[in-house]
Amino acid sequence: MSANCDIAFTLNGVKRELSVPAGMSALAMLRERLGLTGTKYGCGEGECGACTILVDGMSVNSCLVFAADCDGRELVTIEGVVQSEAGERLRSAFVASGAVQCGFCTPGLMVQASHLIERHPGADETAIRRGIEGNLCRCTGYRKIIDAISAAAHEKLRSP
Amino acid sequence: MNETLIGKRIPKMDAPDKASGKTRYIQDLEMPGALHAKILRSTQVHARILSIDTRAAKALAGVHAVITAADVPWQRPIGVGKDHLPLKTDRVRSLRDEIAAVAADSEAIAEAALKLIRVEYEPLPVVATTLAALAPGAPLIHPEPRGADSGEHLKTAGTPVAFAGKPDNIAMTFDYAQGDVVQGEAESDVVIEDVFRLHYVTHCCMGVSGVIAEFDPGGNLLLYSNTQVPFLHKREFADLLGIDPGRIRIIQPPIGGGFGSKLDIYPFEPIAIFLAKITKRPVKLVFTREEEFVASPTRQPVLLKLRSGCRKDGTLTFRAVETVHDNGAYTSWGATTPFVMMQTISSLYRVPHCKYHTKAVYTNNPYAGSFRGYGNLQATFAVEAHMDKLAAAVGMDGLAFRLKNAQDPGEITPQGMHFKTCGFKQCLTTAAGRSDFLRKQADNRARWNDAGPVKRGIGMASMLHVGGGAKIYPSDGCGTILKIDDFAHVTLITGASEIGQGSETVLSQLVCEELGLPMSAVTVVNNDTDITPWDVGVHASRTTFIAGNSAIGAARKAKKKILDAASAKTGRKTDELGLAGGFITSNSGEKLFELAKFLRSLHFSDKADLVMTTFYYEPPSRHQDKQFKGDVSAAYAWATQVCEVEVDTQTGIVRLLKVTGAHDVGRVLNRLGIEGQIEGGIVMGQGYAITENLMVENGVMRNPNFRDYKLVTAPEIPEMDISFIETMDGEGPQGAKGVGEAPAICIAAAVANAIHNATGVRITALPFTPENVYRALNGASEPPVWSAAA
Amino acid sequence: MDLIEYYRAPTSLEEAADILRAGNVTVLAGGTDLMPQAQAGRMHFQPVLMNVRRVPELRGIAEEGGAVRIGALVTITELLESALVRERLGMLWQACDHFASDQIRNAATVGGNLCNASPAGDTLVPLLALNARVVLASKPNGTLHTRRVPLAEFLLGPGRTCRGPAELLAAVEVPLPPAGFAGEFYKHGTRPGLDIAAISIAAGARRDGALLRDVRVAFGAVAPTPIRAPRAEAALEGHPPDAATLEAAVQAALAEIHPISDLRASDWYRRELIHNMLKRVLAHVCQL
Repeated sequence: MSANCDIAFTLNGVKRELSVPAGMSALAMLRERLGLTGTKYGCGEGECGACTILVDGMSVNSCLVFAADCDGRELVTIEGVVQSEAGERLRSAFVASGAVQCGFCTPGLMVQASHLIERHPGADETAIRRGIEGNLCRCTGYRKIIDAISAAAHEKLRSP
Repeated sequence: MNETLIGKRIPKMDAPDKASGKTRYIQDLEMPGALHAKILRSTQVHARILSIDTRAAKALAGVHAVITAADVPWQRPIGVGKDHLPLKTDRVRSLRDEIAAVAADSEAIAEAALKLIRVEYEPLPVVATTLAALAPGAPLIHPEPRGADSGEHLKTAGTPVAFAGKPDNIAMTFDYAQGDVVQGEAESDVVIEDVFRLHYVTHCCMGVSGVIAEFDPGGNLLLYSNTQVPFLHKREFADLLGIDPGRIRIIQPPIGGGFGSKLDIYPFEPIAIFLAKITKRPVKLVFTREEEFVASPTRQPVLLKLRSGCRKDGTLTFRAVETVHDNGAYTSWGATTPFVMMQTISSLYRVPHCKYHTKAVYTNNPYAGSFRGYGNLQATFAVEAHMDKLAAAVGMDGLAFRLKNAQDPGEITPQGMHFKTCGFKQCLTTAAGRSDFLRKQADNRARWNDAGPVKRGIGMASMLHVGGGAKIYPSDGCGTILKIDDFAHVTLITGASEIGQGSETVLSQLVCEELGLPMSAVTVVNNDTDITPWDVGVHASRTTFIAGNSAIGAARKAKKKILDAASAKTGRKTDELGLAGGFITSNSGEKLFELAKFLRSLHFSDKADLVMTTFYYEPPSRHQDKQFKGDVSAAYAWATQVCEVEVDTQTGIVRLLKVTGAHDVGRVLNRLGIEGQIEGGIVMGQGYAITENLMVENGVMRNPNFRDYKLVTAPEIPEMDISFIETMDGEGPQGAKGVGEAPAICIAAAVANAIHNATGVRITALPFTPENVYRALNGASEPPVWSAAA
Repeated sequence: MDLIEYYRAPTSLEEAADILRAGNVTVLAGGTDLMPQAQAGRMHFQPVLMNVRRVPELRGIAEEGGAVRIGALVTITELLESALVRERLGMLWQACDHFASDQIRNAATVGGNLCNASPAGDTLVPLLALNARVVLASKPNGTLHTRRVPLAEFLLGPGRTCRGPAELLAAVEVPLPPAGFAGEFYKHGTRPGLDIAAISIAAGARRDGALLRDVRVAFGAVAPTPIRAPRAEAALEGHPPDAATLEAAVQAALAEIHPISDLRASDWYRRELIHNMLKRVLAHVCQL
């Protein structure tokens, strides 16, 4: 097995210390070492967005991030997103809009949507569609996901 | 007064957990002491296995077991055709074939062990097309078996012999006829014939396949499986293991997508079970995404020849269809798509004379399974192309031609399907009206020679599908157990599986409607064969209809019990009482008793009774006879979809701009849920028509990944205008009919018609990817040619 | 995955160059190419994995001496959010807008895109059209040394560049196009992003009265590397943008490209696309 790296980072607001193999992905670290199964394996190569997390405030595919590179960074996963007030409003919007069917893509979309709304409050339909182009969904046809994000984005615009 | 829940927008009950990342899918489940399993797959498309050396793999630290077919001499063939041994013995027939499997302390160790297994192959000629498979002297995919494959060593009492082999490469054939197509052709003023080629696509569930198998010390099997047919598979696994089905429990964790992919047993589940049996530890096996592409069944690819005709007044006379189905190396549900295809050929629009023939042919290609729509997309693609062509030939517009041949309520088709409710014509007129179909169609046609490379087109297609279950298994029923506790909280124990389509929500809605309770009063228990009553499974868009009627039946029994007790107490007649808003009421709405209090009084009185009821609903449909005739469903559903496209003639890029759909759903139950099903189905149809293409060449899948297999993404979805035609089916729960598959079925057909309207070019092969379309527009493609040996 | 024996995360360019000089290093920046390639076995890790994401000298977008200097670690999102890039390097900005997905744009770096040297590399095609040059840093004799290489010479083949094993790509310098220059980037695909181009085109020019000047034409996915099309440029340079000129340019371009057939497109189709879309792109550009 490859060399281990000692890393220290913040995860959902809590300081963590861990020793991880150099070649391990952040996705594998979250799921296998930290027991956080909300972030999903969809493809392992950055094409589906099911593994989306926030690193230093930017959304990324955790399957492409080296766990070692998390050293000194702030990570937020779906579990952390829904703890915030904005995340809770987003979750309500997803539920009320019917944006969840099998739900497998939903955590990745929630994280991506929270990032999108944060950076573009009041984002319109075009911006939302482009904003989630890296998240695949097989069940919903995206329509209600776009509606949910739109509702949450406009709520944010009204009451940041 | 309690407002009705029917037709309301009701959020899915498990959505909050799913949106929080709390829901645990099969990939997220951890069993204490579980081993991780990986499968070694063939690197050859077609070859004899000369030897398998697992010594180095077994010696790797952390490896608990490495098995091959030699370790499980008692294994039996699985799958629809029972021609598929989980671990291959003397040969491999396709690139995904399972040769060995490892159980180890971690996935990484299991993967490392796979790399240490040495397999010696003797390559055999690859049969890459059905034409090659049918040629005289073609290599046989399943020859009469020799050696370990012959099952000689399996011949113990009650043991089925391993697949007996075939003298040729024909896996199955289907034949259907109504009337006399020769007579039909003679009566026709227009006769046309075309060949259509429908391609490979695959389910791409966002959650990859996985299973966890665990034997308890008594030899009872606990299987965590995403099967869509748990009770059927319980029986099949029992046969596989030679044990009593009562000793198998299947729990279905929340599923990351189904779409029909989980209606058959595939080798990975028996292999996990074998490893669990041998290691005496729980075994978890999860696919990689590449494995999901390579080792999951596809949609059935079809080469289809359609000859059809009509009179000059526009009445259809006959349809004659021949198809060749590439069966791949092993038989799964794809081979049986003719069951559905012949329904479309014979009964989508009124056709007196019809003949249908399918050959399903073995090759070394991937095999096809059941996939949302189940052959109907392929058949509708052909039928609706001809509806447009025939209409043009007799000088009628596409809407009038279709209306002339669309059935009315009450009709019984020559195949025996009784269309008790039928909103076909309303679907046609609604979709055409709302999309301004005729005017746009004429307008687009007038612009064919305009300058400018981008052309607009509009096209229409309709579909017919079962909407009240499908009696293809011995039973099409579903059982429900219902209890109401002392606080008027309902537990609904249903045989129906929830696979993300929202069944738990709509069943709760139906029960709450009967009992006058809010949605928050219901807990649904499902997905566990030890707890729930029998249900045949999630297929054929049956769950709302069948499980819904079952739940209503149990709820009505509970209601009767409560009202009978209230009647005894009040002296009023039972039919003068009702349940609403959590109360027992009079028919005029007067609140008589709070339900919860009443139930407690019932419980703690001298009568000491609880409200517990059961109901098994079997729909009043019939099995088809040997000629495939019969009223196989309790209800049927229709939809018409109008697709507007933009075609860039300089690149071949087709953009789907808008879909206007009208669906005969009987009745809208959960408006939010049904919209979600339709929107999702439309986009799945869009993928089938335009973006998805599983490229298989010489038995090799060239694009088993999301980078080059293009699912539709959010920026590409069309504008969607969806109307519901509520024909209030007499048998359906609250009048509803099934809709799960319908919205995916006629998109490709409508897009094909739209591309013709935009460009004047009719393309009879899918998919409409840019290069394919560009070639067709520029005369640089080869249209499908009919090729099937007689 | 291979055995990585050492993981290093230098915090200065000098430190990074020292590590490189010691040899056997795989460089990690955004990871968006490295991770999937390693998982798929298409590349193998060297014993040392060096993460350069904490080297500050590799960041930043700034105008210096008539060129825009873009640090190797600048992400695609940072390029999209830069007014300087959007206003002065329009073709590059458009390419970034068609690049993968938001999640990938947030992590992928221009340096990584350059070193990955894909024949269809989205940023590479406009950078080539803009006469970009890469800045390579190393410490061959104990002191930091940089050299500049024109992009056309840097890209050698699919996945191959002239970067030496002890060199780090530190930045790319993009000379500002002349005033009045208008350019467009076209990428063939059915999606706005998340697509590997079957072909891509970056073309631009400025008007000098009725004539075209400073013509640049570059293609992606029609040769082993992204390429300029000098004969197409010559057919346009100093000519009025009329139908005959555009046709001559397109015919010249077709003679300069060497597309292959692969699972994404056939060579025939790629030629058709270059023919049709180069004309369309030039027509758009010439109206400006």
